Amino acid sequence: MKPILSIASTTIGEAIRRKVLLIILLIGVLFLFVAPGLGVLSARSETTVLRGMMLGIIQLTSAVIAIVLTVYMIPNEIERRTIYTILSKPVTRWQFLVGKYLGAIGALGMMMALMSSIMILVFWRLQSADVSQLADLAKAPVMYFIQMCLLASVAIFFSTFVSPLVNFFLAGGMYLLGSLFSPFFQTLSENPNTAQVAKIFALVVNTILPNFSNYNVQNPIINPNQTIQNEGAYYLQVTIYGLFYIGILLVGGILIFDRREV
Amino acid sequence: MKGPKKSVLYGILGVCFVGQGLLMRGLGYQPSQSDYDPVTVENKKTGVFRVVKKLKPGVDKPAFQGIYSSWSRDFAPRKTVAAAGLSPDQLLFALAGFREMIAGILWVRADSFFDTGNYDAILPIIRLVTILDPSQIDVYATGMWHIGYNFTDEEQRSDRRYIPSALALGKEGCRQNPETYEMFFETGWMWYHKIDDDYPQAVKWFEQAQTKPDMIPARKNLLAMAFQRDGQPDAALDTYSRLLNKAESEFDKDQAFGNRQLRDTIQNNIDTTLVRMVQRGWVAEKEGRPLTGYDTDPAFDVGFSAKATIIDSRVIKFEGTWNVLPVGTRVRVVLRDKDYTVNLDGKDTDVGKPAGMNWDYSNDVNLDPPRDRTFMMDQLFVRNRRFSRKVDLSKDPTMYPFTEKEYWLEFYYNPRSAPPHIQDKFGYNGEGMTDKNFLRNDVRPGQKLPNGKELPQKVVYVRLPISRDMILRRGEWQDKVPVIKTPNYVETANNYDKDETLIDIPSLRSGGGAEKK
Repeated sequence: MKPILSIASTTIGEAIRRKVLLIILLIGVLFLFVAPGLGVLSARSETTVLRGMMLGIIQLTSAVIAIVLTVYMIPNEIERRTIYTILSKPVTRWQFLVGKYLGAIGALGMMMALMSSIMILVFWRLQSADVSQLADLAKAPVMYFIQMCLLASVAIFFSTFVSPLVNFFLAGGMYLLGSLFSPFFQTLSENPNTAQVAKIFALVVNTILPNFSNYNVQNPIINPNQTIQNEGAYYLQVTIYGLFYIGILLVGGILIFDRREV
Repeated sequence: MKGPKKSVLYGILGVCFVGQGLLMRGLGYQPSQSDYDPVTVENKKTGVFRVVKKLKPGVDKPAFQGIYSSWSRDFAPRKTVAAAGLSPDQLLFALAGFREMIAGILWVRADSFFDTGNYDAILPIIRLVTILDPSQIDVYATGMWHIGYNFTDEEQRSDRRYIPSALALGKEGCRQNPETYEMFFETGWMWYHKIDDDYPQAVKWFEQAQTKPDMIPARKNLLAMAFQRDGQPDAALDTYSRLLNKAESEFDKDQAFGNRQLRDTIQNNIDTTLVRMVQRGWVAEKEGRPLTGYDTDPAFDVGFSAKATIIDSRVIKFEGTWNVLPVGTRVRVVLRDKDYTVNLDGKDTDVGKPAGMNWDYSNDVNLDPPRDRTFMMDQLFVRNRRFSRKVDLSKDPTMYPFTEKEYWLEFYYNPRSAPPHIQDKFGYNGEGMTDKNFLRNDVRPGQKLPNGKELPQKVVYVRLPISRDMILRRGEWQDKVPVIKTPNYVETANNYDKDETLIDIPSLRSGGGAEKK
């Protein structure tokens, strides 16, 4: 366990020193501060727009950070040959991979926590939201964090056998597909004109692909007019789902990385 | 490999794969969107109304509900829009975040199009905004009004081909926002005011609006008005009584001016309704007593006759007689394809009906009306017992394409739509109205009385065939003036009746029969 934690803490340190990540984070934070002023551009209720916009900024920024952070992680170590010094120590490849992954989500968690805190602060100061409203609002970033952990595991998995550029588009594509496929599948299954074959195909794909849309819980937070049934059970279910899927990708990554020549 | 054995890793892989699939799909039958009914409940602490989705009776609870089923019930971005068949790019828009912000900005943009009169440009914005942000009720309500009312020809006749789309938008708004009364009310209003003929539909939607706890009390009166238009004054009275009880209790709690005004208005409406129910013979009819002596007896002969002269290509002059002297009569004239068909589920379906259309034929919001269909509807105002109106259809060929060969020219009068001073004589269902030639009771459904008797809905209706060649003054009609008229039409140069005899309409204000010359 110790080697894993050592690699993870080193990875966090590296991540927060990377300028490109800090710039992305800075842009996200700037948008979060500017967001309250943009509500006037819209005809919609200011609170609704602000909620939607802030959650959108956090999600988008986190996704970009998650991909940029993880796609270079393994290839950089190989390219700079630092991996040899690590693997020559009593550290196995699986510990290296898991350590890198934990470090990535640790850094990601810190950055997301910063953005979420700013959002909470803005709502508390400008919108005079009470504790229960703020707690409701905080649910979405927590779910986004699990979503980004899943995204990071997708990128880590691909980084064991493809180049960073390809990985960037692969992981991004998977995120887009996994976010869109549930509503798309819903459209297909509820449309009476859809062929049975297409429905079965959509069902299979939707079951196999990592489903990022499970974590898009912002709709009832932005428009709070629907009671969510068994909310706690749902969050628990999607968290376990995320852990299972992260497990699949990490084990898959370990198996591939283990066979790779470095 | 050092560390865990490969067999262990494959084992973990298998367990995780099965586990995620099980969590995603659940066990047993997974309810879909259509298996749930939205129920509005009030949070007693906050006073906020919310929707709870409850399984319909007969649908079993799943043994273990999967994530997908729960997500599509509670978190999906407005399922019914997705189910309506959005394209992937529209879905992408809807899911890319910032939906409410983009929708709001687009709506501001639409406002500038309103100002410049660029109404066509507003339609796609309305659609996009309702997709992006289906909770924005203002857009649904304004969009519905815009589609239903604002597409007009040069003479301000609205394009009725759009009304099914407006209603479809209203229905979608109701599905998307079941927690509030607003879209139910707006949809009811479209039936009540714009369509102004199919009152059971107005009643249906207003009744649904009343079930929503946030409905403004003053607007609830409209249900009673719709009941009266539908020929059910007893149901109107029940509604008023219920509203009065509520208004009185509100006034007892808080003697504010608004509460007093509401209570007094309802009391006044009840008084008026009771007087009308008695004087129009409705109570006697219900109790099976003879109608002698009531305002609707004897039935008044309206003496309808009509003539249509195609004075130029696509220009029609309507003339005719209507023996009712008091101002307020409007005779509906419709010129439409003989088979008013639209493409539904891949096949052409005739949605035409006498002097109207099956307005409710579409559940899909199609902002492109059937452009190859022709449907002109207008009102002929009666003055001095005659009507005369020139209708010019030549300036708007897209609205009146005349692609078919055969058309119906229809004249229609429904006493349910009449103003109260005329309805006092004609009754709620036309009991006090007759016509030697064109009285029909098979055009619109009648009213079932509590005693089981069927009260037929009397209307004046006649339809005359007319061809495209006649309307366009082509072929044999190039040099001849086509004239279509009812057999009883009598030519007269005199538009004013010298001996202006008032019909006997006892007014509520004078308390009895009006003077007869």
